[in-house]
Amino acid sequence: MGRKNLPRHHGSAIDPEGVQFLRVSERLITARFISAGITALIFLAVTCVPLVLKLTGVWGGYPAWLAWAAPAVVVLSAVWEMVLIPRQVRAIGYAERNEDLLVKGGILFRRVMVVPYGRMQYVDVTMGPLERMLGLSTIHLHTASPGTNAVINGLPAAEAGRLREQLSARGEAKLAGL
Amino acid sequence: MSGPFTGGPLSGDPVFTTDTEETWHRVHPVSPLVRGWVAVAAVIFIFGRNSFDSLLTGGWEDGGSVTGGTPVGIIGAVVGAAVVIFGVSFFLSWRFTRYQVTDANVHINSGVVFRQQRQARIDRVQAIDVVQPLVARAFGLAELKFEVADGGKSAMKLSFLKLDEAKRLRAAILARAAGVPVDPQSPDQIHEAPENHVLTLKPGRIVGAAFFSGTTLAVFIVGIAAAVVVSLSKEPSILVAAVPIALGFIAAYWKAVTTDYNFRVAVSPDGVRLHYGMLETRSQTIPPGRVQAVGVTQGPIWRMAGWYKVHVNVAGYGADSSQSGARSVILPAGTIDEVMTMLGLVFPDPGTDRPFEVFTAGLRGKGADQGFVSSPRQARWIDPLAWRRNAFHATGTALLCRRGVVFRQLDVVPHERTQSLGLRQGPFAAALGLASFELHSTVGPVRPLVKHMSVANALALFDDQALRAATARRIHRAEQWLAPQAPEAVTPSTDSHNSNEETHRGD
Repeated sequence: MGRKNLPRHHGSAIDPEGVQFLRVSERLITARFISAGITALIFLAVTCVPLVLKLTGVWGGYPAWLAWAAPAVVVLSAVWEMVLIPRQVRAIGYAERNEDLLVKGGILFRRVMVVPYGRMQYVDVTMGPLERMLGLSTIHLHTASPGTNAVINGLPAAEAGRLREQLSARGEAKLAGL
Repeated sequence: MSGPFTGGPLSGDPVFTTDTEETWHRVHPVSPLVRGWVAVAAVIFIFGRNSFDSLLTGGWEDGGSVTGGTPVGIIGAVVGAAVVIFGVSFFLSWRFTRYQVTDANVHINSGVVFRQQRQARIDRVQAIDVVQPLVARAFGLAELKFEVADGGKSAMKLSFLKLDEAKRLRAAILARAAGVPVDPQSPDQIHEAPENHVLTLKPGRIVGAAFFSGTTLAVFIVGIAAAVVVSLSKEPSILVAAVPIALGFIAAYWKAVTTDYNFRVAVSPDGVRLHYGMLETRSQTIPPGRVQAVGVTQGPIWRMAGWYKVHVNVAGYGADSSQSGARSVILPAGTIDEVMTMLGLVFPDPGTDRPFEVFTAGLRGKGADQGFVSSPRQARWIDPLAWRRNAFHATGTALLCRRGVVFRQLDVVPHERTQSLGLRQGPFAAALGLASFELHSTVGPVRPLVKHMSVANALALFDDQALRAATARRIHRAEQWLAPQAPEAVTPSTDSHNSNEETHRGD
C-alpha cells in the first residue's frame, strides 16, 4: 500500500511491520464515484428546487443567499468526496497470514483489524447492482463479537470467491469454539 | 392430567435420570396461569372497573336498574366467556409444551397454532439460570433458563417446574455438559454437585450501593431545581408536578435494592453460582471457561467507600437490556478483596506471581506501576486527566486493560477468549503519534479498549496479542471441564491467591 501517500507523523503509521497488504480493485473507485455522484445529484435536485422557484419568480420572498448557498454546499462536498475517494480506496488493504486475516482502511481515521481464522463464525459475500455491473463483491467476516467490523469492499468477484473458500478452509482447520 | 412432570424418582432423592428418545415431560399445569396472571388481572380490573363505573353512573343518572342498563346476564356471559377462553388457552398452551433432556440435547416443543420445536446441544451450554418470580415462588415453582451462545437472543426457557425438579434438571444438564464420567452401576443417575459458599453481601452494602449511586445524584439535582423553581415562583403547588419524578426515583431505589438483595456467591464443580433477589429470586450458574471478559468499574462516589462493581461477558447473556444488565453483574458492590475473590473464581489462573499487586495496580494504579504500559506524555493534550491511567498489561493468561480516572475501569480478557483485535488512529492521535487498541469480545457490557498508546507500543501490543491469542487457542481448554481425559495444558501455575481451585478438578 502506498505508505508514501500517507502523512507520516513521528515516523510511523499503524500498519503492522513486515506485512504485504493486497489492495482492492481500482474499479471500486468507479463504483464509489457513481454512487457518490447519484447521491450528490439527488441532493442537488432537492436543494435546487427553491432556487428555481425563486428565479422563476414563484417564490420571490426566499432569501437569495440561501437559494445559492444550499446547492453550492452540495456541489462542494461532492467535489471533496470525489477527491477523497481514490485515496480512500487505495487505503483499503487486506493480508492473509498463517493464523489470521488483516484488514485495514481509512486515511484520516485509520484502522487495522486482525481476525483469527479460528474465530470466524461465518463469511458473507454480497454483490450490489452497481458492484455486479463492475464485477466486484464485498466480503464481510463475522465473529462472535459485534465489534468485529471486518468488511472488504471492492474485491474482484473471482478473488472474493477464492478468499471465501480460503477463509472457510482455514477457519475449519483452526476452529476454536468460542 | 396424568402428565408426569417429574423426571426421575420422586421427592427427596437428589437423583435425575436423563430421558430416552420417547420420554417427554410436561411443565407444571399452573404455569400458564403464573405466566399469564398479569393478563388475567388486567382483564378483571378493566372489566370490573367498567361495570362498576356503569353501575354507579347508571344508578345515578338513569335512575333505572341497579346494574345501569347492563343486564346481569351479559355481565355473567362475558365473565363466563373470559373464564372459558383463558382456561382453554391455558390448557392448550400447557398441553402442547413438552420437554426432554437426553444425554446430549435439550428439546422443548411448544406452541399451539405456530408449533416450535427447539433443540440445543448440552455441551454448548453457556449458563443456566433458575429464576423464581414472586408469583411462581408462591406456588413453589421455578423457571429454568438454558443459555446457548447466540448473543442473548433466545434462551431455552422451561417455565415453570417445581423448584426441586428445576434444580435436578440443572444438575443433570451441567453434569452432562461437564462430561462427568458415567457411573457404570447406574448410568442414568446424576447427583447434584456440592456447593461451597464463598461470599455474601450484607443488606447494608446493597442499600448503601443503591444510595451512593447515580440515582442519588439525580435526586439532588432535581431537588435543587425544585427548590429554585418554588422559591422563584412562590407557588409550592408546582411541587405536585414532581410527584411522578419522585415515584420514579423511589422505584429506581426499590429495584436496585430488591434485585441485588441477599447476594450470595458460591462455587461448585459446575461453576460459579450466584444467588440474589428479594421478591424475584434468581440463581445463576456460569460454568468454568464460559466467562469471555470481566470488567471492574468504580465511580467517583464509590471510591470513598472503596467499592467496585464487576461485570462479565458471557456469550449467552448478550447485551441483556431486559434486566437492565443485572444478569451480567457478578458482584454488585464489593470491596477490593471481594473483587479479587471473584476474579479468582472466574479466572483461576491469573498468569502472574503477584496477582493481588498486579490487579490492584489495574484498579487503582497510575503510570508504569507493576509492569503496566501506559500512554506517553504527549497523550495529555487529548486526554489531560486520564492519560496516566490508560494502560495495558499482559499476564501469562490474560490481558488487562485499564482506563478512566473519574470512572475507573479495568477490563480483563483471557488470551484464548480474544475474538479479534483492532487498532484505530484519528487525525489528532496521528499528529501526536498515538493510536488506540481495541479488543473485541462477545456481546456484553465489557468492551476492552486501550486508549492513546504510543504507536510503537500499540503496534507491539497488536502483534503480540494476536500471537498470544493464537497460542492460547492452540492449547485450547476442553469444552467439557470435568471430563476424565481433561487436557489441562494451560494451568501450569496454581498460585491463585485465594486457592479456589474447585473449578479444576479434572484429574
